[in-house]
Amino acid sequence: MSLPTLDFSLILPELVVLITALLVLIADLLWPRAASRGREQAPAVLALAGLILAGLLTLLAGEWSGATLQGMLVADALARYLNLVVLLAAALGLLLSWSYLPHFSTQRSEYYALYLLAVAGMLFLGKSIELITLFVSLEILSIALYVLTGFHRGQLAGGEAALKYFLLGAFSSGFLLYGAALFYAATGATRLADIAAQNAGGFYMLAGLALFLVGLGFKLAVAPFHMWAPDAYQGAPTPVTAFMSVGTKAAALVALFRVVQAAGSVPVGVWATALAFLSLLTMTLGNLAALRQSSLKRMLAYSSIAHAGYLLVGVVAGTAAGFDAVLFYLFAYAFMNIGAFAIASLLERPGFYAVQDAGIHAADGLFGRRPWLAVAMAMFMLSLAGIPPLAGFFGKLYLFAAAVESGWAWLAVAGVLNSVISAYYYLRVVVGMFMAEPSASAHLRLPLPASATLAVALTALGTLLFGLLATPWFQGISR
Amino acid sequence: MLNYSWLILLFPAAGAVINAFWGRRLGRRGVAVVANLAVLAALIMALIMAAGVRSLPAAAHGRYELTLWQWIGVGDLQVDLALLIDPLSVVMALVVTGVGFIIHLYAATYMKLDDEHHPLDARRYARFFVYLNFFILMMLTLVLANNFLQLYVGWEGVGLASYLLIGFWFHKPSAAEAGKKAFIVNRIGDFGLALAIMWLFFLFGKSAGSLGFHDLFAQLETLSAQNSPALVGITLLLLLAATGKSAQIPLFVWLPDAMEGPSPVSALIHAATMVTAGVYMIARTHPLYEMTPASMTAVAWIGGLTALLAASIALVQTDLKRILAYSTISQLGYMFLGVGVGAYAAGIFHLTTHAFYKALLFLAAGSVMHALHGELNIDRMGGLRAKLPRTYAQFLIGAAALAGLPLLAGFWSKDEILYITYQKNMPLYIIGLFTAFLTAFYSFRAVFRAFHGAPRDHHLHDHAAEQPAGMTRPLWVLAAGALFAGLIGIPAAVGGLFGVEHSHLLEAWLHPVFANVQTPHLPAWWELGLLGASSLIALAGLGLAYARYVRQAGWALRLQRLFSPVQPLLEHKYWIDEIYMAAIVTPLRRLARFFYTFGDQTVIEGAVNGLGRVTAGAGVAVARLQSGVVGLYALSLLLGAVGLLGFFLLFG
Amino acid sequence: MPLLFAALALIALVGAAGVLLSRNPVYSALSLLLNFVAFAVMYVMLSAQFLGVVQIIVYAGAIVVLFLFVVMLIGGNLPALGRGRRAYVRAAGVILAALFLLALLFGLARPLPNGLAAVGAPDGGSVQALGLALYVDHIVPFELASILLLTAMLGGIVLARRYQAPPKD
Repeated sequence: MSLPTLDFSLILPELVVLITALLVLIADLLWPRAASRGREQAPAVLALAGLILAGLLTLLAGEWSGATLQGMLVADALARYLNLVVLLAAALGLLLSWSYLPHFSTQRSEYYALYLLAVAGMLFLGKSIELITLFVSLEILSIALYVLTGFHRGQLAGGEAALKYFLLGAFSSGFLLYGAALFYAATGATRLADIAAQNAGGFYMLAGLALFLVGLGFKLAVAPFHMWAPDAYQGAPTPVTAFMSVGTKAAALVALFRVVQAAGSVPVGVWATALAFLSLLTMTLGNLAALRQSSLKRMLAYSSIAHAGYLLVGVVAGTAAGFDAVLFYLFAYAFMNIGAFAIASLLERPGFYAVQDAGIHAADGLFGRRPWLAVAMAMFMLSLAGIPPLAGFFGKLYLFAAAVESGWAWLAVAGVLNSVISAYYYLRVVVGMFMAEPSASAHLRLPLPASATLAVALTALGTLLFGLLATPWFQGISR
Repeated sequence: MLNYSWLILLFPAAGAVINAFWGRRLGRRGVAVVANLAVLAALIMALIMAAGVRSLPAAAHGRYELTLWQWIGVGDLQVDLALLIDPLSVVMALVVTGVGFIIHLYAATYMKLDDEHHPLDARRYARFFVYLNFFILMMLTLVLANNFLQLYVGWEGVGLASYLLIGFWFHKPSAAEAGKKAFIVNRIGDFGLALAIMWLFFLFGKSAGSLGFHDLFAQLETLSAQNSPALVGITLLLLLAATGKSAQIPLFVWLPDAMEGPSPVSALIHAATMVTAGVYMIARTHPLYEMTPASMTAVAWIGGLTALLAASIALVQTDLKRILAYSTISQLGYMFLGVGVGAYAAGIFHLTTHAFYKALLFLAAGSVMHALHGELNIDRMGGLRAKLPRTYAQFLIGAAALAGLPLLAGFWSKDEILYITYQKNMPLYIIGLFTAFLTAFYSFRAVFRAFHGAPRDHHLHDHAAEQPAGMTRPLWVLAAGALFAGLIGIPAAVGGLFGVEHSHLLEAWLHPVFANVQTPHLPAWWELGLLGASSLIALAGLGLAYARYVRQAGWALRLQRLFSPVQPLLEHKYWIDEIYMAAIVTPLRRLARFFYTFGDQTVIEGAVNGLGRVTAGAGVAVARLQSGVVGLYALSLLLGAVGLLGFFLLFG
Repeated sequence: MPLLFAALALIALVGAAGVLLSRNPVYSALSLLLNFVAFAVMYVMLSAQFLGVVQIIVYAGAIVVLFLFVVMLIGGNLPALGRGRRAYVRAAGVILAALFLLALLFGLARPLPNGLAAVGAPDGGSVQALGLALYVDHIVPFELASILLLTAMLGGIVLARRYQAPPKD
């Protein structure tokens, strides 16, 4: 008997993120806060450096071959793309936090450490190919996000949202674990590859997959497991909302994809049909509820739910093209959604005991005051609505085309109809920005923080470029 | 030469961007110069393109496709961002930029004042021209598209510009309401277009590998039978889209309200260009319609009936711009009638002449409106001829062209449509001819009521003054168009009288596009007879208006009394708005409210809406937790879990 | 053996029900203890002796005691729990839970699948076997669990600290 040799090079980016998290934790010790005012942002600088380094390592690692760490974690092309999406979303969210966090908290080290731990959890989740590893990764990201959601401890909404998120998250984790146990019961294995190889059928696999879908559906904010999302997204500090609405979805989708593939013995018709109905329900509920929101952030939260529905369409399609479309959409979504939340955060009135939410009219007349910001926001809104030639349009196009190709035409039609509904609430923001006079309660944080401006610029650029150069990007993903 | 055609899109785009970001710094003068130059440059580019198309080799069939870049590649489908430059698109580009340029010139002066005759501040002034240039960009995108998707982009883009401009005086509730109405009604049509494109994609997308017009039309050969159900469905959906944009039955209700926008907008978007997009689209997709005679008939009947309906409503309106709006709907009906009977070139011909005289009429009406400080009610005008001589002359020319008085622009184009309708569909010919009579009558009713007779409101009359040259001068160009634009389409029968061969220049120009369409012809004397009938009808309408409104002849008044029972019907526009409200809008609102109260409010918001409004009281959050919100959420989760589990076990 | 199992299962169920139904948090914690002990015995029955012992020491010993400490430190007059929930929510919850149980019973009533064959093997739960499972076979999730604990600890610290608003500047 010998101890296993582990090839840690396969998880180099994750290790970098983890080590950065530890460094950030002790940053206060390395650079005592009192020493110099300029060093206040040391944790943020460190965290950003760590994320960028992890991103570079992911990019430079070449093609990831699919080698595994003891059959627990895998470094394959899927994981690589997920790494890029999550790290991108994390870096953008971090840029937003930079100027946002000091308004309500002095616990910078803790914030950025938790933030990086959430990132690490997502990265590990994307690489997990074993049930226990998958569960532990999911819990790492969940627990970090529960705390981050309630990080603004001066306001009750945050605490309330965090508590709801936590209680329901624990409830849903129970379902996921039960599902994992049933898988084990059916096959005696926890590695996804072994489970797939057993090709066991029957009740245990069916019920196992159903319960697994409950747990992952919760993280994805798929209806009817979505109820926590509007509260958590609204109550959390906006940069956290921006980051988690993209990162969690991305990681959970990859996990969902892997699990569904492993449960190959469950007839495709069953899980795909179930997911198709969930997708339909999710986008319809999300869009209808978004229509009636009076808070910009809450509207975006419902829009985020609707987008979980669109993303599921690609999984339902079940083909390579379908999941390529999901990956493409995740990139596009990272840009346009984080961009929208970035603008929302600039329109908030951050206070010490309560952040006053940006109302639906907060952006009114923005074009007259900050034309570039208004144009960027218009791009995000139009892209989220799926209007060409922006990234969101192509994302939807690829998703729905994949659905049609694999015989889910009705779902694609439902998706298109939903996009039409959604155009109404997105365009309302655009129209307000360009046509209405600023409302009395409108507020814009001035001077604009450089970091947030950079985030807006990057996301706007991404939204545009992913639209204009959609084809080469998509071909890159497919390959 | 043609490979620089993309510049035509660049100029208005650049104009819009410059004014958007530096408009305030440029000042009103600078803004106007930038916007006007942008459109002028586009016009020059359009002329260059026309020359380029002329010099194409014969093998090209007058068609040049300029691929800017590959845009979408999904599986086998490839959609490029590409321009289709052919005689048809060039004519449209010329109309858009030509008439557009004149209207820009006029607007530079007109928009110095806002709707309440206060000076408009530079920021809003700049914004107006941003929208206007953006509109030109989108309209050119629409007409120069080489595929359905790009057409759709332009289609939505012009809709957006129209919506923004209708609501430009957004502090006026009626303007905001009109903008919303236009937006919603147009959504219905746009939905039809989206469905049609998807259907085409399902039908031919795979085999054609693109959504390009000509790639798709090439696939039509695989369909042997005419009127295949799928194609009829597609063409009817396209027709639905066209009725939305071009304000035809059943979706015409938005256009009269759209007159809430500034007058140059009414002239440019809601008369000369955007509303003709539906006609253009049908002409562009005519190979589809040629395969589906059933849909063609539908187009023709919708056009004919709309022409009649709108003309009859225009008879009794008292708001000058609304009269023009209904006349626009009616004239668009003629264009639909034209393309519906296969007279595509005639439809485009009428589109072109109409652009001139209707823009002229709207801008002249705008001058009247400015002179009278916003008054548009013709019952309060009268006798303006002496006060506004130039405007009077311009309005008169426009009205005469609209009425189809012989030898003017509207006469030739309308008559050509009627001439072909006569051979294809007799009932529609009679409707068309009768509508021509109504048209002549209401056109001159407006002229006589507004400009002749004694002033009915002396206060208004005394303060009226001719508008500055910046507004009146550009209109002479349009007036020249209204007088002479018809010369590009003199029918062969008339040309033959003067020994001119190929006198119908426009038809010859468009021939490569519609080469496969057969237009029937009658002997020359027969055609001349029909021309005579049209002339008589127009003159009769003029005469009746003269008798009624200038001479106040007893027989004309008696005739009017004879028709008085139907007057309320017309004044209320057949109660169509009210019917739509009761039959569609109200039930929809109820449905939305149901969804809201049931799905959103009861389940979600009833429990949670206070989130974020919580201000104080440490116990509040916990109290709410205990009051069952989390329980409700958990219940939803459990419901989903049971549902999923049940589904898996039942169907697995 | 089946008789013993049935008795233990019953005790575990009673304990779990007690956690939920007790109005007094101290009784809830004690019911939890009952539940933990019943499970510990079951682990031993399945030859997972080490797990059974750990269950007693860590859960029954440490965690429940911690709960009790917290309850006592906060004081005896906590508001009674479980009040105010609307009746229809409760009814719907009970019905759904019953349906869920029914669906599972429907499947569990069938013969056991292969996967469970290895469970309960004589030395399956020995310290050595457990060590191999944790440190050789499942070393990756084991290490990840340490990150999970770090995250939870950090979260606990953040939440426990008194909130300090940043200085206004």
